[in-house]
Amino acid sequence: MADYQLIIIGGGLSGIAAGIRAARFGRKTLILEQHALPGGLNSYYVRQGHLLETGLHAMTNCAAPGDKHAPLNRLFRQLHLSRKQFQLQEQIGSEIHFCGQSLFFTNDSTVLEDAIARAFPAGIDRFRLLKTKIALYDPFAPAPWRSSRQFLAAHLQDSRLEDMLLLPLMVYGNAEEHDMDLGQFVIMFRAVFEEGFFRPSGTMREFLDQLVGQYREYGGELRYRAPVAEIVVRDGRVQGVRLADGEELSAEAVLSTAGIPETIRLSGWDDDVERYSGRMSFMETISLLPRSQAATLSRERTIIFYHNKPVLSYRRPDFFLDTSWGVICFPENFAGQPPSDLIQIRVTNAANYPLWKALAPQAYGPMKQKWTAASVQASEEIIGNYQPSIVYQDSFTPLTIERFTRKAQGAVYGSAVKIKDGLTPWPNLFIAGTDQGYLGIVGAMLSGITVVNRHLLQ
Amino acid sequence: MTRDEIKDVILEIIEDIDEEADFANLDAEAPLRDQLDLDSMDFLDIVMELRKRYKLQIPEEEYPQLASLASCVNYLEPKLKDV
Repeated sequence: MADYQLIIIGGGLSGIAAGIRAARFGRKTLILEQHALPGGLNSYYVRQGHLLETGLHAMTNCAAPGDKHAPLNRLFRQLHLSRKQFQLQEQIGSEIHFCGQSLFFTNDSTVLEDAIARAFPAGIDRFRLLKTKIALYDPFAPAPWRSSRQFLAAHLQDSRLEDMLLLPLMVYGNAEEHDMDLGQFVIMFRAVFEEGFFRPSGTMREFLDQLVGQYREYGGELRYRAPVAEIVVRDGRVQGVRLADGEELSAEAVLSTAGIPETIRLSGWDDDVERYSGRMSFMETISLLPRSQAATLSRERTIIFYHNKPVLSYRRPDFFLDTSWGVICFPENFAGQPPSDLIQIRVTNAANYPLWKALAPQAYGPMKQKWTAASVQASEEIIGNYQPSIVYQDSFTPLTIERFTRKAQGAVYGSAVKIKDGLTPWPNLFIAGTDQGYLGIVGAMLSGITVVNRHLLQ
Repeated sequence: MTRDEIKDVILEIIEDIDEEADFANLDAEAPLRDQLDLDSMDFLDIVMELRKRYKLQIPEEEYPQLASLASCVNYLEPKLKDV
């Protein structure tokens, strides 16, 4: 008999959600996480007494408890967690700041509609028609790739409005460059513009503790600092995994959330890694400053998506970092967030993984420092100066992301080619998480749930 | 298990799956999914819970027999008669 019925590679949100489902229905389950903490792309770390979150700016898919069809509430039911007891804080409001033009939006979708009516009076009727088309579109029905660009161009007939709408949706979950699959667009449009941004009350640590607690409550096992070195395949089936320290664990099935390229590498799956390597990666800088000295900065914006060039360039830059566009997040600017002495500003820009990877070890630190300064400077042009007030600052690059999450090339949204059914060449090896196709925190968890429901429970 | 006991078990399972479930106007003959606003993922949980509690294997092609409360009871009665 195998040691486990299910081994899950990766203690990120998709892995934990998958684990809760399997353990809840009696499967002997083990999650293997290489890092000392759960969360994967959305985790946290502590430096000089400050708890800093990685990945999470905001969760998408905000929904009130009563709406049973809302993805967030379906997620809670599937994890058997009380939605009524889950406290969330909604965004104050976010802004698309595009080459001199601005669109403001909140979790009330009419706010965006009003902003478009003011900024694009000639296009508002077409935007309203677009919204009805989106409402009628079923993004979960199997369909070949369709261009969102073409769809938007046909419906909006305004390339600036098209670019402005695409910016936040791409930044929050598009693995492709320049264009995105229409199904993904519809999912993201609903998640961001119709349902909206929120964060759990408390920190990511408490949210993850609750999830891990639920998993353990059902008898699930979780090992930290347990990197998988190989998915062991014999006689056309996966037999289990071998850990970096040589220990072998057998399993009836293995679910990998490490991404397709990493799963290919671990299993010896005969496919082209390059085809599945996403090109979009980012560098993020977190700055902490005293609340008292941040008085001049925005209290009215949760996230600012900025773009200084006239045409949207959602692509891997040709140089280390593209500070001409990015995301500025104020994690304190959610409604009802208790005031803290320090506020955070997080700035995220697209980065070129191969250039960072090619740096000699002694050149990495100075390069990171240089581009951190450039990133802060670019954000100051949007929100005002804050560099002199910074009391603590930390950055992570595509290499940091790759090291901690095993997402090949630090591609946070994974492969541009998704495996939506979660299947691999082996009958008992499955893929969940970013490369299965659902994105964001809610999406990642639904991905883990869906794959377990479809392939492991029935 | 009697028919009434089976009915109670089903309702208890649904209540456990969905903290918002409201049985006030439940029509035993009408589809549960429509009345309680459940989706296919919730429905799977009913099946999984029956399996967990009573070791019942319900093949996918027989899921439609669980559509309404009355059909659930009819379908489960012979399977749970010795429980």
